[in-house]
Amino acid sequence: MTAPDLIRLSGVAKRFTKAGQGITIFDHLDMGIGRGDFVAIMGPSGSGKTTLLNLLGGIDQPTGGEIWFDGARIDRLPEGRLADWRANNVGFIFQFYNLMPTLTALRNVELPLLLTPLGRAERRQRAEIALRIVGLSDRLGHYPREMSGGQQQRVAIARAIVSDPKMLLCDEPTGDLDRGTADEILRMLQLLNREMGKTIVMVTHDPEAARYAGRILHLDKGRFVENELAGARVS
Amino acid sequence: MPRLLAQIAAVTAINVKSMPQRAWLSASTVVAVALVVAVLLSFLAMANGFEQTLRGTGSPEVAVLLRGGAGVEINSSISRDQVRLVEEAPGIARGADGRPLVSAELYVTVDGRKRAGGSKANVTLRGMGPEGAAIRPGFRIVGGRMAQPGSAELMVGQSLVREFAGFDLGSRVRIANADWTVVGVFDMGGSVFESELWADIATVQSLFRRTNVFQSIRVRLDAPDRLPALRAYLDADPRLKLDAKSEVAYFADQASSTITLIRFLGWPLAIAMAVGALAGALNTMYSAVAARAQEIATLRCLGFGGIPSFVGTLIESLLLALLGGLLGAAVTWAAFDGVTASTLGSGFTQVVFAFRLSPVLVFQGVVLALVVGLLGGLFPAWRAAHVPIVRAYGNG
Amino acid sequence: MNDFTLVRANLFRRKLRAMLMIVAIFIAFLIFGVLASFERAFSSGETTAAANRLVVNNKINFTQPLPLAYLGRVRGVEGVRLASHFSWFGGYYQEPRNFLIAFAVEPDSYLDIYRDDLRVTAEERARFLADQGSLLVGDVVAAKYGWKIGDRIPLSSNIWTNSSTGGRRWDFTIAGILRPGKPQSDTNLVVFHYDYLNETRGVARDSIGVVVLETVDAAVNETVAARIDSLFANSFAETETVTEAAFNKQFAAQFGNIALIVGLVVGAAFVTILMIVGNTMVMAIRERTREVAVLKTLGFPSPRIFRLVLGESLLLAFLGGIPGLLAAAAALAALRPLLAGFAPGLALAPPVALTGVGLMLLLGLATGALPALNALRLNIVTGLGRD
Repeated sequence: MTAPDLIRLSGVAKRFTKAGQGITIFDHLDMGIGRGDFVAIMGPSGSGKTTLLNLLGGIDQPTGGEIWFDGARIDRLPEGRLADWRANNVGFIFQFYNLMPTLTALRNVELPLLLTPLGRAERRQRAEIALRIVGLSDRLGHYPREMSGGQQQRVAIARAIVSDPKMLLCDEPTGDLDRGTADEILRMLQLLNREMGKTIVMVTHDPEAARYAGRILHLDKGRFVENELAGARVS
Repeated sequence: MPRLLAQIAAVTAINVKSMPQRAWLSASTVVAVALVVAVLLSFLAMANGFEQTLRGTGSPEVAVLLRGGAGVEINSSISRDQVRLVEEAPGIARGADGRPLVSAELYVTVDGRKRAGGSKANVTLRGMGPEGAAIRPGFRIVGGRMAQPGSAELMVGQSLVREFAGFDLGSRVRIANADWTVVGVFDMGGSVFESELWADIATVQSLFRRTNVFQSIRVRLDAPDRLPALRAYLDADPRLKLDAKSEVAYFADQASSTITLIRFLGWPLAIAMAVGALAGALNTMYSAVAARAQEIATLRCLGFGGIPSFVGTLIESLLLALLGGLLGAAVTWAAFDGVTASTLGSGFTQVVFAFRLSPVLVFQGVVLALVVGLLGGLFPAWRAAHVPIVRAYGNG
Repeated sequence: MNDFTLVRANLFRRKLRAMLMIVAIFIAFLIFGVLASFERAFSSGETTAAANRLVVNNKINFTQPLPLAYLGRVRGVEGVRLASHFSWFGGYYQEPRNFLIAFAVEPDSYLDIYRDDLRVTAEERARFLADQGSLLVGDVVAAKYGWKIGDRIPLSSNIWTNSSTGGRRWDFTIAGILRPGKPQSDTNLVVFHYDYLNETRGVARDSIGVVVLETVDAAVNETVAARIDSLFANSFAETETVTEAAFNKQFAAQFGNIALIVGLVVGAAFVTILMIVGNTMVMAIRERTREVAVLKTLGFPSPRIFRLVLGESLLLAFLGGIPGLLAAAAALAALRPLLAGFAPGLALAPPVALTGVGLMLLLGLATGALPALNALRLNIVTGLGRD
């Protein structure tokens, strides 16, 4: 792999103290994710996969080691700069969608664009395009409570891509969905990876979901135990 | 029925025990209600204190004679001839020396400075003879001595000393180009007279260039029912165009307008504030019901009816309000009861009075608090009684 | 969409709760608007007094008379431009409860000195000056009793007796209507010729209530006052000369410390809503912990989230406060005729409204500060509650 990785962890450690006891999540973790990769991270509960995702997304900071993104070190950025960095480079997709219940689908998607200098009309246009990409052009004015789980997750995906980030981080994106809807969402992620070149890191405990990724990393007790190339599933 | 009561008791106990979980919110309701009650009670205590002072002033055995139509002393004027004629009127008690107990008095307004803030305010300087003290039941010297006739000596009421600066026993006061000495402090049961300066009538008349002019005549009656006889005598003589009133009636008339004003200020204010506090109480109780939705639904699963949830919520709300009401009354009592203030009486001079909280007033305050509690609990209680049972199974 | 959309959507997520908060705030500002305006109007004499107007009153007390001769001597004092006098009549119309604020004045100089406060037409003025038995009536009084120019009006005094009739009645012809020169001017009064009273009351001849004067400049007020008071020192009627503002202030203070009472009540009302709204805001933001964390994840910087939360409490304060002040203005308009004698020009004055807006800002900041700080400090990982 000659091309530099999009994101690279070297010697990353994460420890914290809980109820007076020191807990080590990672001791010395190294990993790299290349541009355009679709990586699934699997592992049992407590293996540290969500913490890893938080570190990659800059919403948590390591206690040791370095994290480099696109040639710049991000693990020591102050909170304000980190927020900027997230807004420009990362889109998040959560298990429980985490949409704002008081905003319509369109406005939920428009939300990240409030952090850009874009004008009102352009923000709206981009949000509409993002919703069209996820196939929800007819749901612009709907509130989250008026939509199914799958539709809500698609709104969340639209929100994640609307600011055109390089990397999407997904935390159990299908954990709350039935198989059919889950496959729909996963195919959509795959499409974003292939057609739009988004680098995707997805945490999941569902092997079926993991098979949509190009690479699967198994995490256990803070270490990668085996790496495999997924049998890329294409419908 | 006993089962229902047992259910209500059980639910109420659960509710009350869970109050500390919403400590801040519950406390804010209690404080809000307390402040509403405190505002109401402060006004009512003010009106009550003022009323007590004025009503406590008159004696049924004393009649006040003023020029016809004058209404209050400051507007009246009476000549020495008229005073002589009144001394011969029937129904008037006589002193040990056999002289009729008649006190002709001159009432002038002078400046005093309030101790609090130092602002200037009108004070009554009453010129009177030795009979003045004799005809007033309840008069008592509590410091110093009586003023000497013909001297520039002052006796001051003890309310006045408390409220105004510069009138302490032994002080020298300059009024009307003369130096006066405070030689006595008197008690008259907290009445209006305690807000006055008393001096010798002849000295006042000469220093104020009002020789032979009086403003009121006070007479001690043989008995309270002798007033009609005195009136008949006054009416029969065309030289005596004077109104006679019992002193009780005289001061009661003066009390009404100020007291009405204070009460008409206090109640609307308190009710407006109560609406604000009601919003707070409703919010607290709705939150309490929302926080307990699962708990209530679980109880319903166990076979509890809607009524215990309804009553339990209502009791919680009433309890908070009652607590607030009592707290408000306690705060008012601690902060204001007995505090003295002064305002203009109808004689255009200051009347010193004390805030007086009474059980009746506290009761009114607590009733207002309970009304807030009842309204604030009713709608949330209705909601509590209608929590769907399925809520027991989920977290939303 | 902009940040305001977010703020608004958040505030009204629980409509009932938001409405209750708005009602509480509404009430507090209604109380504030009415009481503060009342206090202001009540003490308006203090704020509307002309800066260079002084009142000479008897040192013993302002109700004690001064000799009429003092007027001429005051006029001779250096620094006095104009001087007049007025005396309390204790007037009422037909019955003592129809109490009137009636003054016996020196007509020409009185109207000159109050030229900015009391307006009469040249024609009315000429008619008033020409007829010693005529009366100028404030527009408030004329409206109350339905009086018109030319009407014959009997006024009675609870102090004086008319020696020509033996009764307490004096008859007047209305020569004109006094209209306010400024919005706050007090026109709840009637004035008539001092000479008419002086010649008919029999007693207290040539005594007057107070002398009112205008200095050449407000800067010389103190010097002029000192000159006047030293002029009459050690005489039978010593004087005390104060500015009109101080005179009015002392007069108003006789009723009690109205400002203190208003302050206490408004304070109690505000502490009440501060408690209620403050607690509710803390609770509302705590309920939304997860959403706040999501906003942070999306890259919203913490200061911006801080502002969003503060914006919510500020919006709440203004949504309750502005209608509260408007309702206060309406209530004051309704009370205005009832309290015309007590608190002239009762209305929601700009300074009171401005203070109200300032209080809304303070309230919004105070109730939003803690929840906003909590949101600012919120750790995303804990907030998302995934670990």
